[in-house]
Formats: sequence, C-alpha cells, structure tokens
Amino acid sequence: MKNSWFIALRELNERLSNRSFRWMLFIGPLLVLLAVFVLVETSQQGVESMKVLVADPANILDGKITAHPSQQLEYDFYNEYLDHEVFKNDARFNGYDALIEVNHKVLDNKTVRIFYREQPSFTLKTTMRFDLEGRVEEVMLDQFSTMNSNEFRKIKQKLNVRFMDVDDPLNTSEEETAWVGYSLGYLMLFFVGFFGMNITRSINREKTNRISEVLLSSVRPNELMMGKILGNLLSSLLQLIFWIFLIGIGLWAFKEFFFQDYFIPDYLNQTQVDEQQMSSLGMKNTFQENMSLELLYYRINYPFVMLNFGCFFLGTYWVYSSLFTVLGALSGDESDGQQFSLPIWIFIFLGIYAGYYAMSYPNSEWTTFFSYFPWTSGMVAMVKICSGVSTIAYSLLFLAFAVQLCVGTLLVFMAGKVFKQGILSNNHRVSFKLLRSWLRKN
Amino acid sequence: MIELKAVSKVFGQKIALDELHLTINDGQIFGLLGPNGAGKTTLIRILTQILEPSKGTVYFKGAPLNFSDVKAFGYLPEERGLYKEMKVLDHLLFLGRLRGMDYKSAKLSANHWMDKFDVSSWSNKRINTLSKGMAQKVQFMGSLIHNPEVIILDEPLSGFDPLNIQMILDEIKELKKRGKTVIFSTHNMSSVDDFCDEVAIVNHGTLVIHEKVTSLKENYRTGDFKLRFKGNQIALANALWTSFELLDCRELNQGQFEARIRSRGGQKFNDVFNELSGAIALEAMEEQLPTMQDVFLKLVTNEK
Repeated sequence: MKNSWFIALRELNERLSNRSFRWMLFIGPLLVLLAVFVLVETSQQGVESMKVLVADPANILDGKITAHPSQQLEYDFYNEYLDHEVFKNDARFNGYDALIEVNHKVLDNKTVRIFYREQPSFTLKTTMRFDLEGRVEEVMLDQFSTMNSNEFRKIKQKLNVRFMDVDDPLNTSEEETAWVGYSLGYLMLFFVGFFGMNITRSINREKTNRISEVLLSSVRPNELMMGKILGNLLSSLLQLIFWIFLIGIGLWAFKEFFFQDYFIPDYLNQTQVDEQQMSSLGMKNTFQENMSLELLYYRINYPFVMLNFGCFFLGTYWVYSSLFTVLGALSGDESDGQQFSLPIWIFIFLGIYAGYYAMSYPNSEWTTFFSYFPWTSGMVAMVKICSGVSTIAYSLLFLAFAVQLCVGTLLVFMAGKVFKQGILSNNHRVSFKLLRSWLRKN
Repeated sequence: MIELKAVSKVFGQKIALDELHLTINDGQIFGLLGPNGAGKTTLIRILTQILEPSKGTVYFKGAPLNFSDVKAFGYLPEERGLYKEMKVLDHLLFLGRLRGMDYKSAKLSANHWMDKFDVSSWSNKRINTLSKGMAQKVQFMGSLIHNPEVIILDEPLSGFDPLNIQMILDEIKELKKRGKTVIFSTHNMSSVDDFCDEVAIVNHGTLVIHEKVTSLKENYRTGDFKLRFKGNQIALANALWTSFELLDCRELNQGQFEARIRSRGGQKFNDVFNELSGAIALEAMEEQLPTMQDVFLKLVTNEK
C-alpha cells in the first residue's frame, strides 16, 4: 500500500499542477455563493401591496388589526368560516390577494395561517406578521389579563404565523430541506462523475505514453489501480473541502455584511418599532420571513448533514471509481474512454433522477429500491437525511452505505482483474468478449 | 544468478515462450537476441514480473523469483514512457521511491545521475520541454536510480544520437565493472559484438542458442582471411591453388592489393601465412571472424 500512496500523491500533484483544477477551487464556490445570493434576493421579491381578507368567524380580532395601517396593506374582515379552497375558487374573493385564517382557538394554539395567491414581498410578510402579533396581544390583554403590556410581553407565547401558497398549501418545510439534500446529492454525483473520469483519463494517458510498463516493473497492478483511485479521491476531497470552506466563509460574510438589512428592515424604523420591542413580540428577527435565509442559516444541521455527506460521498465514489477504472483499462485509447463512459453517466443521471423521485414519492417502492441501489443510494440518503429521518430509517441508511461498500469492494476486485490485463494493451477494439476473457484470467 | 526452468507463456492460442531454459550468471553483460516477435519482450516482462509465466519457474539467487525482488531489478522497456508534465527531478524521485528508496537517498542518487549525464541544470524543467535525447537520458537514469543488481535494457540504443549511444555504452561497461548484471536486448549487433559476454538467441518462443560470444564466433568461423600484399593477382591465384578460394581482390595503389580468401581445409592463420608468404609480399593479414550479425542471420535462417 506504500506504493499506492506514492502513486496517489503523484496523481494529486498532477491535479494540483493543472490550471483548471486550481481555478475550479475558487470559481466553483464563487458560483455557488452567487447562486445563494440570487436565491436569497429573489426570495424577498414579491407582491409589494396586498388586499387581505381576514377570516375571523369567532370575531376575535373584533374587526380591527392595527391603528397604523401600512399603505401597502388593506385589510377586510369576514366573520364566517372560510376554507382556503373556497377562497381560492370562489369568484367573490377574487379581489383579495391573501387570506388570513384566524381560527376560533387562536388565543390557545397561537397559530395563524396566511394563504397567498402570489408570494408577498419580504416587507409585506413582516408587516402582516407584526400587525397580527400586536392585535392578538391586545386581545389577550383585554380578555385575560390585568397586567400591563410590558409585563404581559414577558410571559406571552410567540404567535406562529405560517405563510402558504393557496395553490400549494402542502409545500411543507420538509420539502424545502429535502431540496438542500438533493442539491448536496447533485454536488456529490457531480464530483464523483468529474473526478471519476479523471481516473479513466489518467489510465489512458499512461497507456498512451507507455509509462505503465515502467510502473508495473515496480508495483503490482492492484497497487497501481488503488493508487489511482486514492489519488483521484484525494483530489476530489481537496476540491470539495475547499468548496465547503469557501462557501462557509461566504455564507458567514453574507450574513455579516450583505444580509444585515433582513434583520432590521426599513419599515421597522418607519413605524418606530425597535428591535427589543420586536423581540418582545416573540419575533426573534425578520430573518425568518425570508425562506431561503431561514433554510440556509437555521434549518440545516450542518455538522450532522456534512458528516453523512462525507460517508455517502466515499461510498458513492467507491462504487463509481471501479467502473471508471474498468473503463480506463478496457479502452484502447483516450477516445474509447470518453465514448464508453456513457453507460456510467447514465447511472449518474439515474442517481439524479432517483433523488428527485425520492423527494416526490418518499415512501414508494421505487424509492426503497433507489435507497439501496449502490449507484443511487448516496443521493437518496442525502434527500432523506435533510428531510429528517427517524432512528430506524437512519440505521437503514447505514445499511445502504454498507451495501455500497460491499458492492464497491467486489467491483474494485473485478476491476483489478481487468486492469491487470488491460493496462499493457492499447489500440485494441473494446468488446464484451474481451472484457469477459480478461475477467476470467487470473 | 537468474535461472529460468521450463518457462512457458501462452496468450490465448499463441505460445509466446515454450519450455525455455536459461541461466544468466552474475556480473556479465548478457545479450538477448531474436527477430521481432521471437518472445524477447515476453521473457523480459516475466523477469520483471509484469507477466507471470504460464508454466515453469524463474529463480533469482537460487530462490523462486517473488515480487520483493523487483527492487533488485532496473528496467528500461522498449516502449519508454515518462510523465511529461512532471519535472525531471520529481520524476526520478517518484521512480526511486516506488522502488523502495527513502526520499533522502532517492534525491542523492537522482542528483548523482543527473550530474553524471549532464542534466543537472534541467532538474526543475518539465519533461515535455526536454529534447528527445535528453528525455531518453532521463528514462535511462530512471532505470538505474535505485542502484539495482540486475539491469534489463530492452533496445536501449534505439533513438539515441551517436554521442548518447557512446555515453550509454560507456555506462553499461561501468555497470559491469561494478559487478552488475546487464541483460541487453537489442537489434544492434555491433553493440553485442563489442560488449556482451554471453548471448541467447530466441526465436518462435524457443531458445536457439546460448553461448559465450567468443565461443559462438569461434564455432561459426568461416575460415575467411583478409590480406594486403604487393605483387600481382596471378601470383596470388597461383599461391592459393586448391586449398583456398579467392572471394574478392581489389587494387589499392600501384601494385598493392587487398584480397579476401576462404580456406577450404580449415587452415589456421600460420598455415595461410606459410603458404602465401613465399608467393607474394604480405603486408598485413587477419582472420575475419564472423560478426554477431552473421551468426544471428545464420542461426535464425537455419531455424526457418
């Protein structure tokens, strides 16, 4: 294994001396950060003024919501029960942009749902939330307490305001985090595919420049193969760690320098509500109204997700690397290596599809199959882990990881046989017959 | 000592080596000859353990050859390769470390060889910026960096310019002086004449002959003599009579000739001298031993 290590280090050095590899160390994270920035910025875009219908069948709010109404918001009251489906379809309500559903137990369950037809802007969301918090507080003080407002704020519970798309009310938070898992799975497959192809290219190059024979007079074919797999793993991990590090720094910098406005938006200053008052209303900050920011900074358990990402990245790399090695050993020249990589890329695309499928149908039989199929299990695992998994489901994911390791080891063993025969062969025609004969040889 | 006992190698239907027995003694330059496709490269790949024999055993120092012995072998293959993006020194260090050297001794050895082959100033240059001759020197150094006991050179002179050929040949002599065994596969027969102690000729995967170069030449002598004399051609023809055959004769200067004759009765140098010296004024005479080219052609043609 010592020789494999030297070979791996040489592979790593070759990658490091490659200009495009060095550029990608910086360009990749910058592109991701740019995408994050655009995502956050677009998340705060939306309708700038709204006509809102407050369905308050128990008349809890008593037809009032704020003494200082915003010019962008116009509230009307409806003192009957109104289902969001009726609001959506009934022509009587076409003139309203949003429905605030004040259920008759709101003073107990502290939950209000707001159904919108079009996503309200960040400022509007914050204003609605603030108006509702204030009015519910007034009602509670009137009905239940002899305390003054400052005393009450010390003991009151936060009002849970949930914004929902009236056309897609089931778009739950789990799905949002599942998208994060899907993105990580996509990144995983991108890295595995990109660096896996480097294994094939590297083997082809060594065959073309005839260095293989010099190497094989010093190392066993299996050592050479493992060196290549390890070397490309090191370079992909280096690239990945660099990306994670730079993206982490970038997200921190965004939070500190670019997204500060989301904590204390302009309108708060206009209405002279200070941060302390806001906090006392149970609103940690307005940050929570920006879905993307909340997702990025609060809802992802990064240490847990990244630990699992690391495991499944290794497992996925292990099962794919053997295929790329076989391809390199089997191909007669570099163009063969590129052409015959198509079946491997089909597996990678299947992985990408499996992730999407797992998000859409998390409990289907096919999702179960994809979660154990070694070439797709890494992606499905990331989707599941980010969506939130029970202890049992989590242990099953580790079963999938074990399957990846076992299948990968078997494939690497078979790849070793092909590699041993193929490394000194070039300019031959690739065929299944050739593959079969090489697999049979000792 | 390297000993091959009944070594065979089969690729599918093709027998590349067939029950080959061969012994290569320590400290000699051993020529491995044969036409293209004879099985030389297969034999070399078995010695370097790139291939395993289908049958038979290779012994090194009396024990079956195993993978830990590769460190004792240096190998320059016929189809040579270099990592073109690597720097000269890095490439040599990499090969040295693969052959079991620690970093310090690999660097020491690399610097020694770079000084010797006058490429020290190129140590930090990428190999793809070197001339072909310079790159070939790097390849040659790569096979010697770990100070191997046995050096296997497959067509080491191909592609080199005359200056570099001389440098390589001098180095091979030097290696022999230091007690190394050099296995030398080549088509360049003059180099075999000059350097090899023993040769083995392989054809169609079988051993045609294995002998010392001197005895091989002795055994295949043709009885040809080259002589320079003053006089006339008729006098020479009369002197030759029935014991010799005149192969050719040309006039060098006025009355001075150079001729080649072949003895018919196995006469030795003294016999020829005694028979001719009375008839013509002999100025110079030498027996023309066969070249390795002659022996090789004769043996391989006979095989066919």
